[in-house]
Amino acid sequence: MNKMIKGSLAVAHEAFDDGTEVRVRPQAGGTDARPVVSVHDLAMRYGDDEPVIEGVSLEVREGEVVSLVGPSGSGKSTILRAISGLHAPLSGKVDLGIPATEMGFLFQDDALLPWRTARDNVALGLRLHGKPVGGARQEAGEWMARLGLKGFELRYPRQLSGGQRKRVALAQVLALKPRLLLMDEPFASLDAIVRHRVTQDLLDWVEREGIAVLLVTHDLEEAQALSDVVNLLSQGPRARISHRYPVEIPRPRDLIGVRGHPTFAPLLQRIWKDLSVEVEEATANR
Amino acid sequence: MSALFDKTWARQALALAALLILWEGLGRAGLIDPFYAPPPSAIALALYELFADGSIWPHLTATLSAALAGLGFGLLLGAVLGFGAAMVRPVADIIEPVMILLNAIPRVILAPLFIIWFGIGLGSKVAVSLVLVAVLIFFAVYSGIREVDVRLVERVRTLGGGRMTLLREVYIPSVTAWILGNLKVAVGFAFTGAVVGEFVASSRGLGYLLSFAQSTYNAALTIALIVIIMGFVLILFGLAGRIERRLLHWRYA
Repeated sequence: MNKMIKGSLAVAHEAFDDGTEVRVRPQAGGTDARPVVSVHDLAMRYGDDEPVIEGVSLEVREGEVVSLVGPSGSGKSTILRAISGLHAPLSGKVDLGIPATEMGFLFQDDALLPWRTARDNVALGLRLHGKPVGGARQEAGEWMARLGLKGFELRYPRQLSGGQRKRVALAQVLALKPRLLLMDEPFASLDAIVRHRVTQDLLDWVEREGIAVLLVTHDLEEAQALSDVVNLLSQGPRARISHRYPVEIPRPRDLIGVRGHPTFAPLLQRIWKDLSVEVEEATANR
Repeated sequence: MSALFDKTWARQALALAALLILWEGLGRAGLIDPFYAPPPSAIALALYELFADGSIWPHLTATLSAALAGLGFGLLLGAVLGFGAAMVRPVADIIEPVMILLNAIPRVILAPLFIIWFGIGLGSKVAVSLVLVAVLIFFAVYSGIREVDVRLVERVRTLGGGRMTLLREVYIPSVTAWILGNLKVAVGFAFTGAVVGEFVASSRGLGYLLSFAQSTYNAALTIALIVIIMGFVLILFGLAGRIERRLLHWRYA
C-alpha cells in the first residue's frame, strides 16, 4: 500500500484494502481539507496567439470534485494541460499539494498503445511507477476485473469496443492510485447507456477512495451531478472564471437519483442562464 | 471446378497457363519469330541448363549476397539517419536536403561512380543496393517519428514516462510499423541495386549473365534470368510479409 497517503485518505484506502465496504471520505471542500492543487492567476496561450485564458484561479481540495464548464474554446482543457505539466503557463502558477506522480489524467479520446495488449497498457503506468513487470501485470489484471474487463486482458485495443477502451484507459489511471484526477470530457464519445454506466462506476470509486477530481465537460447536468463545485468559464479568448456554484447534494450520489434532488433543477437553470449571457455578451462584443 | 474457379489464385493461374499455351502455340505455328520471343519451352530449357550444369550458382550467390547485404545495411543506415534527423534538429538540417536530392534522382546513376570507388567486385553492388534502400528507409523513419501520434506521447508522459520510455514504448514501435510497411519495396530496391550494379561492370552475378545474354542476342537466356530474379523477389516478398505479420501482430490480431 502506498505509504505516502496521509490523513483521511489513508482511512479510505485502508477500508478498501480490508475488503470492507465502508464509505469513508474526507469532508469535501471542508476548511480543514488541504488543497491538492491551487491555480493562481493563470494565463495560457498557444504559440503567439492571444491568450486563451487569463487570470484564472481555482483550488481543488482533498476529496473534492470540481468541474469546469463553459462555451467551447473557453480554454477548459488548457487549464488541465497546465496543471498536468503538458503545457507551460504564460504567466501565473500552479501549486501542487501532492507529488506529481499522484496525479492522473483521463483524456477525451481513448488512445491506448495499439501494440500493447489491454493488460500491458494498464501495467505500463504501474511499471513507470517502479513496479516490476510481473507484479504490474498481475495488478493490472485485478484492476481490469474490477472495471468489468475480465477476459479481455490479452486483447489489443483495436479488438475492443469504445466503452471497453475507455474502461482500459480508466484502469490505467486508477491503478496508479491518484489523489488528483484530471478529466477532459472523458466520456463524450460513448453512447448514452455505456456512458451512464462508466460514469456511475467512476463516481462510486472516486467517492469511496476520496479522490479529488478536476473535471472538464460541456455537459452541465453531468457537471452538477458529479461535482461539489461547478466553475463557469467565460467565452474565450482571455477566458476567466465568471461564476462559481457550490452543489449542496449529499454523497454518495447516484446519477439518476441526483436529478430528483430539490436543488438540482434550479441550479441547472441558473448555470444555463449565466452561460447564455456569457455567450451573448461575447457575440455582441465581437 | 466452379468452387476452384471462385478462388482468385485459381483464376490467375488459369490465365497464366492460357497465356503460356497461346505463346507456345503461336511460336510453333511460326507466327512469332523465336529469335525475339522464344516459346516458353525454349525458356524452360534454358532455365534447366542453367541449373543442370550448376553454372548458375556462383552468379546466384553473388546477386543474393549483394542484395541481402545492401538490404541489411541500407535498413540500418536509413533507420539510424532517420532517427538522428528526427531527434536532433541540426542533423536534420544537414541530412534532409541530401536525402531529398538523392530521392529525386534515379539513384542507379551512382553505380558507375561506386564501381570506380569500390571496384567491380561485391562492394560496389552492395553500395548501389544500400543507397537505394537507405534513402527509402530514411524517409519512412523520419516521417514515422515526426508523425507519431501526439496523443500517445502525452498519454505516456502523464503516466510518468520520460524520454527513454517514450522512445521504447511509442517511437520505436510506431517507426517499426512504418519500416515494415516499406519492407517489400525495400526488397525490390535491393535487387534492383544489385542487378544494375552487375549490369554496369562485374565478373559474375545475374546482372552480369543478363548483360552477357543480351550481347549475344540470346532472348531465351535473358527471359530465363528475368524469371529467376522474379522468383527470388517473390520468395523474399513472402518472407517480408511473414515478418510483417509477426512483428505487427497487434494490427492483424
